[in-house]
Amino acid sequence: MKRIESADESRKLLDKITFDLTRSIVKKDELTYFWFFILIMFVGVGLWGWGIQINDGLGVTGMRDYVSWGMYIANFVFFVAISLIGFLLSSALHLLKIHWAKPISRVAEQVAIAGVALAGLIIVMDMGRPERLLNVFLHGRFASPIIWDVTVVTTYLTISVLLFYIPLIPDLALLRDRLGDEVPKWKITLYTILALGWKGNPMQYKTVYHAMRVLMLLIIPVGLSIHTVTSWLFAATLRSGWDTTILGPYFVAGAFVAGSAAVIMLMYAYRVRYGLKDYFEDIHFDYMGKLLVFVCLVYLYFNVNEFLVPGYKMKSAEGVHLKNLFAGSFSVMFWVVQVFGLILPLVLLLIKYFRKPLPITIISFFVLISSWFKRYLIVVPTMEHPFLPVQNVPENFHTYVPTSIEIMITLFSFFAALTIISVLAKLFPVITIWEYAEDKGIDKKYLSEKPRN
Amino acid sequence: MNNKINLLIAVILFISASQIRGQEWIAPADKASVSNPSEYNLANVKKGKEIYQKNCKSCHGDAGKYNALPLVPVPPDVASEIMHSNTEGGLFHKITAGKGGMPQFETTLSEDDRWRLVNYIMNYNPNVEPVLVEAPPVKAKIMASVNEVNKQVEVFAEFDNNGTFEKLADAEVIVSAKKTFGNLVIGKALTDENGRALFTIPESHIGDEEGYVKLVVALGEGYEVAALDLKSAKVGKLKEIPKLIKGGEILWSTNENIQPWLLFSYLGAVGGAWLAIGYIIFLIFRIRKYSKL
Repeated sequence: MKRIESADESRKLLDKITFDLTRSIVKKDELTYFWFFILIMFVGVGLWGWGIQINDGLGVTGMRDYVSWGMYIANFVFFVAISLIGFLLSSALHLLKIHWAKPISRVAEQVAIAGVALAGLIIVMDMGRPERLLNVFLHGRFASPIIWDVTVVTTYLTISVLLFYIPLIPDLALLRDRLGDEVPKWKITLYTILALGWKGNPMQYKTVYHAMRVLMLLIIPVGLSIHTVTSWLFAATLRSGWDTTILGPYFVAGAFVAGSAAVIMLMYAYRVRYGLKDYFEDIHFDYMGKLLVFVCLVYLYFNVNEFLVPGYKMKSAEGVHLKNLFAGSFSVMFWVVQVFGLILPLVLLLIKYFRKPLPITIISFFVLISSWFKRYLIVVPTMEHPFLPVQNVPENFHTYVPTSIEIMITLFSFFAALTIISVLAKLFPVITIWEYAEDKGIDKKYLSEKPRN
Repeated sequence: MNNKINLLIAVILFISASQIRGQEWIAPADKASVSNPSEYNLANVKKGKEIYQKNCKSCHGDAGKYNALPLVPVPPDVASEIMHSNTEGGLFHKITAGKGGMPQFETTLSEDDRWRLVNYIMNYNPNVEPVLVEAPPVKAKIMASVNEVNKQVEVFAEFDNNGTFEKLADAEVIVSAKKTFGNLVIGKALTDENGRALFTIPESHIGDEEGYVKLVVALGEGYEVAALDLKSAKVGKLKEIPKLIKGGEILWSTNENIQPWLLFSYLGAVGGAWLAIGYIIFLIFRIRKYSKL
């Protein structure tokens, strides 16, 4: 890394970086308002649907005695999955000193916060009596694997927020000092409070580095466990398709695929919307493409294990389940998900052209949608095939079809996640300015200088 | 693909065909033509009714009340048209062999009893003169007291004879114990000419942990009187409290019996993570403090 010696040159470059990276905060046009209007509208409609569900009970969903986990749980697993990318990009790659991932780590943290916050909310939405939520904590049973989930989701959310916040402290001071009339006053107040009176002295930098390091180490076991214990909800149950020891790593690998796709899409959105071509460079998309190929390969390997091992044995209930996936009522969804969400992206991304920003974003879109349906395939078909035959129940207990209320609430979760990401992008820089400036060789002392007008 | 659809249609047709067959259950001609060897008289019909109450009522309901269980297909009422479209031999065959939801009684009821059941059903046939006619219920009242020492229940019954209550003789008194899921019949007694019945609770009857039993006294059929709930009386055997087979190994899913490795791994992991988070919060305060340097 080359250092820029000249003070003038440093100041000029820092000004440019600050100008570019605060564009997301300062920029305010009709599209912004329109985007927030769309978000709030969908969130509102979803909350209205939740109101109906609270009022009338879970009977408004398609869930019945046999399929008691439906779209909500599938959606929960999906959001936990995409949140996992936070720990891969902003911690694991950092600790391995993989440099190119640095500017992406903020984006990954945004996805992580939005994902895990919504995952927690979706579980509450799946409850028949959400006002009894506190009982989960008061009367939780340590012998149930579900208690892990409750605690790990909250722990991961806390750590993700801290890992988002701590590297941001020097930036918040920078924004406090440099942003003037371009932003409303409350934003400046917010930055002043959150910046903790940052002066930029060596002790403070040392503490920030130390805290970041502790968090990065901490988030690895917590991040791994959040999706592992999510898989335990299934794997600790004696049911065909779930009762397997590979489910933990299988979920983690699948999560990296979904999360990488989400991050790529978000990077592209920021690049286009906020003119950050020089920050989210082609090379970042190229590397993210290679990372996606790598995690896809791992996931493919687990898929082979997950389906081929029981496929040889075809134990009675397992056989019914597999036949249903491969050639039965879920076969179309299954093969579309496997081909468009795994095989095709894997093959295409090996070609350099498809790792360019736009093509890889389109591929990521398919990967993300497929990974949502993949979670649906993990939850619903197994529920429809209990070991004992389903009998003497009404016809609509046999199969599960999500109702419009469920779809409304699921759409809510997507738009609520986008709202969280959008608000974070409107409040804080999408790449940490001080780290980026330091990478470009600007000395720290220029960061805490008051700007010359 | 076409083959699959054809197969599917065939399966659907087969299933619906078997459904229809299920509804039209026809006894084979040679069985249907068998004639009833048991005489159609009050004694046999009464006996048949007793057998019906024990074995059939739970699904088929009360005769003429059409209150059968809502099964598929619905068990027909004893007085229904479907029931009486069968010949006596046909009814006997169906009771004997059973089909689908209707169990067979070949091994549980004697041939005589099965014919008596047929007689009971024939009592409700529109073309047959009924021999057992249920009289409208008589208004009655009962009084009862428990003697805890002798473990005896003394019941007095009276009936309404056009406005005046008179002693009710020869009436069936049913003594039951109130349990969580309904009343358990302990025994029956008949009232004497003074309308008095004395019933001794058998030694073997088990009460709660202290021997208390909640007794319920009622009159048999034909009387209109509410069952009498008595206060808990110490007339039963002490209920034994079952010992756990192996201490903590059963009911492992409660917090008291949790496996220690689950508890340690959970509390260790969560406690460790939150300690670290607490440390980070402490560092945040440190950053704030350093800004005053």
